[in-house]
Amino acid sequence: MSDPITQFKLNRVDTRLGPLALVTMDNGEDYTKPTLLSRSAMESLAGVLPELESGDWIAMVLTGKPFVFAAGADMKEFPKIRTREEASFGSRAGHELFARLAVLPYPTVAAINGACLGGGAEIALHCSARTISTAVRHFACPEVFLGIFPAWGGTQLVPRLVGVENAIKFVVTNPLKQNRMLDGAKAFELGFADRLLEPVEFVDESIVFALELADGLRIERGVPEADVERALRKGRSQVDDAVHGAAPAPYVALDLIELACSGASIEDGYRAEEEAIADLMLSRQARASLYAFDLVERRTKRGVGIPDVKPRTIEKVGIVGAGLMATQLATLFLKRLGVPLVIRDLDQETVDRAVDTIREELEGRWCPVEGTTSIDDFAGCDIVIEAVFENLKVKKQVFAELERVVDAECILATNTSSLSITEMAADLEHPERVVGMHFFNPVAILPLVELVRAEETDDVTLATAWDVTKKLRKRGVLVRDAPAFVVNRVLTRLTTVLMDALEHGNTVEETDDAVLRLGFPMAPSMLLAMVGPRVANHVLVTLHEAYPDRFPLSQTLANYANGDDTIVVVEQLPRSVEQITNDVLEAVADEIGQLLDEGVVAEAADVDTTLILGAGWPFFLGGITHYLDSEGISERALGSPLAERRAAAAHA
Amino acid sequence: MDREVVFVDGVRTAFGRAGEKGIFWRTRADDMGVKVVRELLRRNAQLEPERIGDVIFAATAQVGDQGLTLGRDVGLLAGIPQSVPGFAIDRMCAGALTAVTAGAGEIAMGACDVVVAGGIEHMGHHPMGADVDFNPRFVAERLVDTSAVTMGATAENLHDKFPHIDKDAADRFAVASQQKAAAAWQNGVMKETVVPMAAFTDDGWKVADRDEFLRPETTLEGLAALRAPFRPGGRVTAGNSAGLTDGATAALLTSAEAADQLDLTPKLRLVGYAYAGVEPELMGIGPIPATQRVLERAGLTIDDVDLFELNEPFAVQVLTWCDGLGVSPDDERLNPYGGAIACGHPLAATGVRLVAQLAYGLRKRKGRYGLTALCIGMGMGAAVLWENVQ
Repeated sequence: MSDPITQFKLNRVDTRLGPLALVTMDNGEDYTKPTLLSRSAMESLAGVLPELESGDWIAMVLTGKPFVFAAGADMKEFPKIRTREEASFGSRAGHELFARLAVLPYPTVAAINGACLGGGAEIALHCSARTISTAVRHFACPEVFLGIFPAWGGTQLVPRLVGVENAIKFVVTNPLKQNRMLDGAKAFELGFADRLLEPVEFVDESIVFALELADGLRIERGVPEADVERALRKGRSQVDDAVHGAAPAPYVALDLIELACSGASIEDGYRAEEEAIADLMLSRQARASLYAFDLVERRTKRGVGIPDVKPRTIEKVGIVGAGLMATQLATLFLKRLGVPLVIRDLDQETVDRAVDTIREELEGRWCPVEGTTSIDDFAGCDIVIEAVFENLKVKKQVFAELERVVDAECILATNTSSLSITEMAADLEHPERVVGMHFFNPVAILPLVELVRAEETDDVTLATAWDVTKKLRKRGVLVRDAPAFVVNRVLTRLTTVLMDALEHGNTVEETDDAVLRLGFPMAPSMLLAMVGPRVANHVLVTLHEAYPDRFPLSQTLANYANGDDTIVVVEQLPRSVEQITNDVLEAVADEIGQLLDEGVVAEAADVDTTLILGAGWPFFLGGITHYLDSEGISERALGSPLAERRAAAAHA
Repeated sequence: MDREVVFVDGVRTAFGRAGEKGIFWRTRADDMGVKVVRELLRRNAQLEPERIGDVIFAATAQVGDQGLTLGRDVGLLAGIPQSVPGFAIDRMCAGALTAVTAGAGEIAMGACDVVVAGGIEHMGHHPMGADVDFNPRFVAERLVDTSAVTMGATAENLHDKFPHIDKDAADRFAVASQQKAAAAWQNGVMKETVVPMAAFTDDGWKVADRDEFLRPETTLEGLAALRAPFRPGGRVTAGNSAGLTDGATAALLTSAEAADQLDLTPKLRLVGYAYAGVEPELMGIGPIPATQRVLERAGLTIDDVDLFELNEPFAVQVLTWCDGLGVSPDDERLNPYGGAIACGHPLAATGVRLVAQLAYGLRKRKGRYGLTALCIGMGMGAAVLWENVQ
């Protein structure tokens, strides 16, 4: 199906002052397909501009279809850009058209009625004034998040309108904070809009505002004073903390903001954007970001490999265990599903503590939770998730006990991070109802759920797990039952390289640096502390049992797991940081190659998705296989790019 | 009446052509109601919304975007405080008038001081008779003639019953209605009673600020050529009847004391009202007994009335009323701003349009008494008598 075409639809409104141009950006679809400023949209704008330039208009109001103003450029067009000329042409075309809007000889009001992103914000900034609805929840320039920057005048106009500090936040640092966006009230408060209006009569009231302007109303806008140099210095240091120099886009955006604040003309600013975007658009990071965005926004929503059968209805949920993970899971289920939930542990005190925490998290909302120590209370559950101690025997026993209590159709899910689910289900009467739902800590933040299909798992069980994952507003990726699945397997392989370096005389600072310079947001030593060395070592042991050659046990990690931070140096043979980085990448490439050969996931793309969503790996690396391939590392380590292995696996 | 009831203000949306080509096709019916309520409150900003005692909205089809007990739905969506109740009401074409008289009743009883009363009909979303399940007894027991359920057929019946009212008379009345409406859009009545509303359409946002049915260029010759859809060789055509319409109206009613206390300026005093029942297959004559009854109770005659705002679903229907009451069809007291033939007739919404235009007309003419009347499907008539207090 071809994508909807955005049109600029011009209508004439006769007012007491004369004709007003009411322009709607619309792609003819409902809000689920946001209006994009695609190439065809720009052609449509070029088509209405002569009418706007020649009529006897007294004002223009530019708005969007219900719930959407405009969601920016069409990113599906970006990969088609092959040359610098093409990249800067796209930017220049926008500049030329938007500049014509900006010089229309009458008041122009962007009436921001809904989602307003990237190019949408930039076209609004080229109008002489803006209204914004209190219902707007997404007002942002997310480009930097995607490895580029707002190149239709955004870097030049935002600082002029709201000052350098707000501009840095809006264009650079918000996108780096998991793509943080502004709502209507906040955008108004920061000076992006001149009027904050209720949604109920938004277009009517925006027209009234345009008429006031046509009638001579002048808007006073106070751009906040700031020490530009200091603000930029602070911005650069924030960017350093976030990407450690590994992604060029935020630095380029800061340079352009600096240019805007230097007294350069808007035309010079436009030219600088056109030059800079030509460099960035073709950069590895931008390509990787687009690839990653497509994975996360499109591929994971499709549910690749999920059987197309009707999922079961979930009206009662059970959680076995009341520890940290179990408590987080219970909170999530209650928040999102709002159905009765039973949480059980062996001693009443643990259960009570968990229930208290859950109630606190629910903040007075509907919270039908029941804490218990009796397995019998799981009767009537439609799904029970176990999050007990990582021990196969214990888990098998839990499932066996559950099977005596629950109906034959009740789904038994495990949150195990490494154990064999097939084995866990083996002795059950109904092994087909067992599925892995591997959440990541912290559950509230990391969106990934590895949905693990064991040998006996049937279609309806898997479809229900997928459906529940969606309702929990998490992203599910289907994986086959294999030791530690995907994220933990790759991370653990990475950890073995770091442990090996430590045990050969490198320092923690060096091993951290080796990974941070790839652009990771968190040092591996901090990540290890967060996940918990005990869990990490347990996963290593499991993987060691399965693949002893690639996953040697580490005395150092075992020490960590026991609360002892002694590094056991086996030999003084420290490597350079570059060497460690290289070893890490080659090991990871090798492990992913193994994963694909085993068919743990369908495609390399799934590995990337899991690492982005489950380990917070940055977009600008494009997950990891994209990076390994484009840097030639997989070729070096495996003899062929992972993308080709993906093809080989698909044929197998 | 112990407590006098006054009409303070009334507004409507422009009326749109029902169906996919109409300007309101993609606008929700309840949102149209919200628009007129908010405009009413904006114009009468002295009134604190929490003083409203009830929000009454009429709709003939009370499902979909006209469901959910419309008065409550519209009140909440318009931003009226949650403490203000609301309800929905139905008497088909007299819906808004019935909302007005029901609200007047609440005020007269002392149950509340201020009422918002109006009507909404999105005939594009709710075609007439859709989802209606007629009781088979009507036909089996011949309780009504089968033609009673098709409004156009009842209009043909009127021509049969009053043969001296022919198609030519109906067409002449229709042309006059179009001309009067065209003139009215040039003077202040529409500015005072119509609120422009932005509406999202397939062609982008537009502003509905003019009735879509207006055809000032209408001629007798043009009308003569139209075919009669309800009966081969019949007399009722699209040209001499009101089209299927989307629209919403709302009025502000208060007790006389409350208006004074809240510093609102009343336009009309409610003198009295009457509803009457007639043969369903001749529903168009309904306003005749209703008018007679309300005049009789008020101790007035038709000559005491300075202005008539009558609905015009069909030209023949107005002409039978003229015939029955002894008023000439070209009497300048009758529908001076044209009528539904020119502006459209969104069933349950029309009543308040009549009252708002009546208030304007009485003020301009310095008249005293005015009458609003409509016929109602299934054989009824409504008549409400007002006194100018401007």
